Amino acid sequence: MSQHQILNPADHGPLRIHTEAGAEFGDNVMACLAMPAEFREVQAHYPIVFRRDAETGKLAALALFGFEAGENLFLNGSTWEARYRPMAHAVQPFLIGRPAEEGAAPQVHVDMKNPRISSSGEGMRVFDDAGAPSPYLETIAAMLGDLDYAWGESAAFFTALEAYGLVEPFSLEVTLDNGAVQSLVGFQTIHEDRLASLDVEALQALMTEGHLARIYMVLASLAQFGNLVARKNRKVLLG
Amino acid sequence: MSNAVQHIVIVGGGTAGWLSACLLAARLPQKRVTLVEAPDIPTIGVGEGTWPTMRETLSTIGIAEAEFLEQCDAAFKQGSRFDGWRDGSPQDSYLHPFSAPAPADMMALAAAWQAGSQQGPFAAAITPQHLVCSAHLAPRQRAMPDYAGALNYGYHLDAGKFATLLMRHATTRLGVTHVAAAVSGVTHAANGDIAALVLQGKEPLEGDIFLDCSGQAAILIKDHCGAGWVDRSDVSFNNRALAVQVPVQPGSPIAAQTIGTAHEAGWLWDIGLPTRRGIGCVYASRFLSDERAAEILLGYVANKVPGADPASLTPRKLAFATGHRDRFWIGNCLAVGLSAGFIEPLEASAIVLIELSLKALADNFPQTRASMDIHAARFNEMFRYRWDRIVEFLKLHYVPSARTEPYWQAQRAPETIPPRLAECLALWREQSPSVWDLPRIDEMFPAASQQYVLHGMGVPVPLAPGVQPSPARLAEVAAKARALTAALPSARDYLDRLSAQAAPPRIPA
Repeated sequence: MSQHQILNPADHGPLRIHTEAGAEFGDNVMACLAMPAEFREVQAHYPIVFRRDAETGKLAALALFGFEAGENLFLNGSTWEARYRPMAHAVQPFLIGRPAEEGAAPQVHVDMKNPRISSSGEGMRVFDDAGAPSPYLETIAAMLGDLDYAWGESAAFFTALEAYGLVEPFSLEVTLDNGAVQSLVGFQTIHEDRLASLDVEALQALMTEGHLARIYMVLASLAQFGNLVARKNRKVLLG
Repeated sequence: MSNAVQHIVIVGGGTAGWLSACLLAARLPQKRVTLVEAPDIPTIGVGEGTWPTMRETLSTIGIAEAEFLEQCDAAFKQGSRFDGWRDGSPQDSYLHPFSAPAPADMMALAAAWQAGSQQGPFAAAITPQHLVCSAHLAPRQRAMPDYAGALNYGYHLDAGKFATLLMRHATTRLGVTHVAAAVSGVTHAANGDIAALVLQGKEPLEGDIFLDCSGQAAILIKDHCGAGWVDRSDVSFNNRALAVQVPVQPGSPIAAQTIGTAHEAGWLWDIGLPTRRGIGCVYASRFLSDERAAEILLGYVANKVPGADPASLTPRKLAFATGHRDRFWIGNCLAVGLSAGFIEPLEASAIVLIELSLKALADNFPQTRASMDIHAARFNEMFRYRWDRIVEFLKLHYVPSARTEPYWQAQRAPETIPPRLAECLALWREQSPSVWDLPRIDEMFPAASQQYVLHGMGVPVPLAPGVQPSPARLAEVAAKARALTAALPSARDYLDRLSAQAAPPRIPA
């Protein structure tokens, strides 16, 4: 359920946004989209995996926060225990809107049904009393711009992965401290053997396009599964 | 009488008495505290502005902030605004906010403001609090821990409700004994100390140390200890006040600061609470008739309070003498509150003086009678110093004025300016106020306060060699102000939603 509106001071002058973390604000999610352009930051905190769209067959990258739907192991009350949140999540409740006409500048939209919309008089103002954007909105608008650009350039990365056959299904099964088995299926990751056997020409092409570093960021991010499992064990322990 | 100081007896049950009872009981839990209060004496109930110190006080006493705000009909106070003090023109207004940067930063900002030909109000260049106050915002978000804020703040409160809350807290949670009886006399010990209070219709009440919180009556310190009076009306002329309480419309903005508006022979206070505004006209009777003062007061209400009906208001008249005791602690008796002294409430010094007196007493509590005279001598020296600084700081609000009425001209006549203030004013033409002028720990009005008033009143910032103007820091303050203004809720929203929430557990009456 959502209700998108074009953000503007006339309609949204007094609008306030809850910017703190919290399950009540929609932070209880197990994953969100991660843009290749932000892999460097994302891999420092979360495992990055790929998912293939069932209908289109297209790949997308995800940052994982938990093992099950609705589980965010980084969420602790009103604290998100990581310094970085992927852009696609951090921009909520805002999103980019495309006007109907071709080539027109993208607009900032807001989802008025998002739980981050405040009705309590608390939260961050979007516009000041004069209708000028607040520093918060300036930050959000810049991030939406980055997200839009990153989304646009991400297609080339996934095309390259497919072209060199660098993606393989990925499943994970770990035994938690309490003996329960936690599994994760249905995701894809980098095919390391294929990557290792690429010839100089292919490596040169991937590096020139800027894909190679991002591929290794994804590989490095798999080390974050250790952290995620530790968080899961702690959560189970604390009940 | 035992040599150990064990039993603290407090006389008087207003803000001073109950605040003393709570603080001493909380800080000295091994002592016994008894408060004696005549059953039929009304409290003065005009001390309705606190300093930021009240947050630590309430936290020490053990009252939750939401409970305090709700039960005392309280609002946030982030400073004082002075309208009309320079020349009385419509744009004549400046803020003395509670937040100030570190002294070196303040010097750099002040110099940059001066060097940049005084763009905007002085306080707006120095602290984001200026913009936050002008937008009627709260200094904190509800999710913050109790008594923490994004900016420094105190409170506006209903003094009657405050005394009631403190009384309940003292008697039900802190073990203070409450005796309802009038004090008709005292019995003295051989050394001249007060040995016991003679109570009407009750047994005499013995104690080891006595706090006189009896207000202007000062029944112990004046009548039984013989403290003299130091008159300060030669410097501080105002000696009358007319006070009204005006209900406000639901949802109307709640002012973030006390507003002091100058008039022809004094000034008006305006203190906004969620349900009412306390407004008073302070004046000097030798310059203004009571009738004219009432006219000024009701004219202000008509102009400034939307929906108010001035004709329905009956102002309450207060007469006061400006001055203080020559000694505040004599033998085993201390004066705390109005019994110690009074001066016009221009910078809300009444309640903070109570807090400072109790801090001095509790930090240095005499364990035996033997040390008491040493503590008393130090206390008296400290509080004579404090009173001198208060008198001078309040006078500072008048001296730079260019208003032309006889009262205002008299206020800046050289013979009415304390010599130490005159010296400082001469120095402050060449160098900014600093710790060299106000060197003590816990100065009530440190250099920053002097700067806010001085430059708010239009005295230029001296561009001394060695102080580097910092335009970049000015831009940082402006950016911080924008960010805070976006993040903080309005005071009205904050306080309305607080009272709408499930009420905190009430103390049984």
